[in-house]
Amino acid sequence: MQEFLNAYSWVNLRFLLDGLWVTIEVSVVSIIFSFIIGTLLGLGRYVQVKYFSAIVGFIIDIIRNLPLLLILFFTYFSLPSIGIRLSVVPASIVAMTIFESAMLAEIVRSGISAVATGQMEAARSNGLTYLQAMRYIVMPQAFRKMIPPIVSQFISLVKDTSLATIILLPDLTEHAQIIYGQNVNYVIPMFVALAAIYFVVNFVLSQASRWLEKRLSRSKIN
Amino acid sequence: MSMIEFHDVEKYYGKFHALKDINLTIDRGEVVTIIGPSGSGKSTLLRTINGLERISDGKLIVNNFDLADKKTNMNRIRKNVGMVFQHFNLYANKDVLDNITIGPELVLKRNKTEVEKEAMDLLDMVGLADKAHNYPAQLSGGQKQRVAIARSLAMQPRAILFDEPTSALDPEMIGDVLDVMQQIAKQGMTMVVVTHEMGFARKVGNRIVFMADGQILEDAHDVNAFFDNPQEPRAKEFLSKIINH
Repeated sequence: MQEFLNAYSWVNLRFLLDGLWVTIEVSVVSIIFSFIIGTLLGLGRYVQVKYFSAIVGFIIDIIRNLPLLLILFFTYFSLPSIGIRLSVVPASIVAMTIFESAMLAEIVRSGISAVATGQMEAARSNGLTYLQAMRYIVMPQAFRKMIPPIVSQFISLVKDTSLATIILLPDLTEHAQIIYGQNVNYVIPMFVALAAIYFVVNFVLSQASRWLEKRLSRSKIN
Repeated sequence: MSMIEFHDVEKYYGKFHALKDINLTIDRGEVVTIIGPSGSGKSTLLRTINGLERISDGKLIVNNFDLADKKTNMNRIRKNVGMVFQHFNLYANKDVLDNITIGPELVLKRNKTEVEKEAMDLLDMVGLADKAHNYPAQLSGGQKQRVAIARSLAMQPRAILFDEPTSALDPEMIGDVLDVMQQIAKQGMTMVVVTHEMGFARKVGNRIVFMADGQILEDAHDVNAFFDNPQEPRAKEFLSKIINH
């Protein structure tokens, strides 16, 4: 029991929190980039521009159906061979962004499709141009519908960063591994700590999502 | 003066022949009701008038613009031709007042305060001035449709198209909407109305077009004569079905 508690020394906890900070950093930066890129890709797939939309759709489908692990290997081990040498944190962010952009693109596309075509027809009949109709009528409603799936995608992103320990990203999981690598008695305490920390972070996120969802469905707008 | 002219218009959806050899001229100030069984092409015909559907062949002139010409800017037609939908299609993310003002503000580039004042007058006319700051989800169907009519009036159009405006309404709501439509008709608006409301067709309409299978089978300027004694057997059959049930 004493051994178990020793695992949670101040030094170890500090080290875990350092790792958590990297996890959060990679997650937040990735979600911001992938939100921007994903929105553009989703729009590109939605608007049905000849060839362009088909190509965008094809790329999205490829990425969505590859394991994230493979994309991590690609950005860290393969990019150097074409002269792009990224250190671990940027490589993880790039991999996450590629993967999550494809996921978010589909969320964006289906969010736009879910706003009834009637809204677009009404706006066009009202004299608005396609772009005005998108900007003032369709997109604001689509984004509202997208918030819950985007948050849940963000939650899996936070968990998925642990995959980047494979390229030695110094994240929460990696730091836990370093700690129990030094003392075999710390293995189970570290697993417990990992579970607790990931749970708390993601539980807070999912509660926030639920709160947002409730608020939106209760609001007079929806 | 004609407002809308169909000359030998054809419309196909793939192989499906939705509109067959349509010839129809609607003058300014006319209130034309289009009736017929479902699937007869009434809505398609209406939707071609503001370019929501493109015609496959023939000639369609609306407010002196040629709709078959690819160079015609559809927005210039839509500025002048309003549309009221069966399912209202109010902008869910805008309150009632914004639903009405967004068109004049963005499309006609008009001054916001002026437009808002006019919008309030229109809401007054349709009896919903107290709902100006409500959202569509807070309104009943009949209220939504009256807002939709106010929205299209705010553009000061030359004509308004109504696509089954009362079909999605509870019976007790229909009267309010029809009253507003009658009021607009009295003011001389050109109206094309796809409807199943035979009372409205008879009382307000000054012309009736009967369609079946994508064709115009009867085009009567004497509305009462049409109802009392339709010429086409299909029209006879249709009327007997909807009136004597």
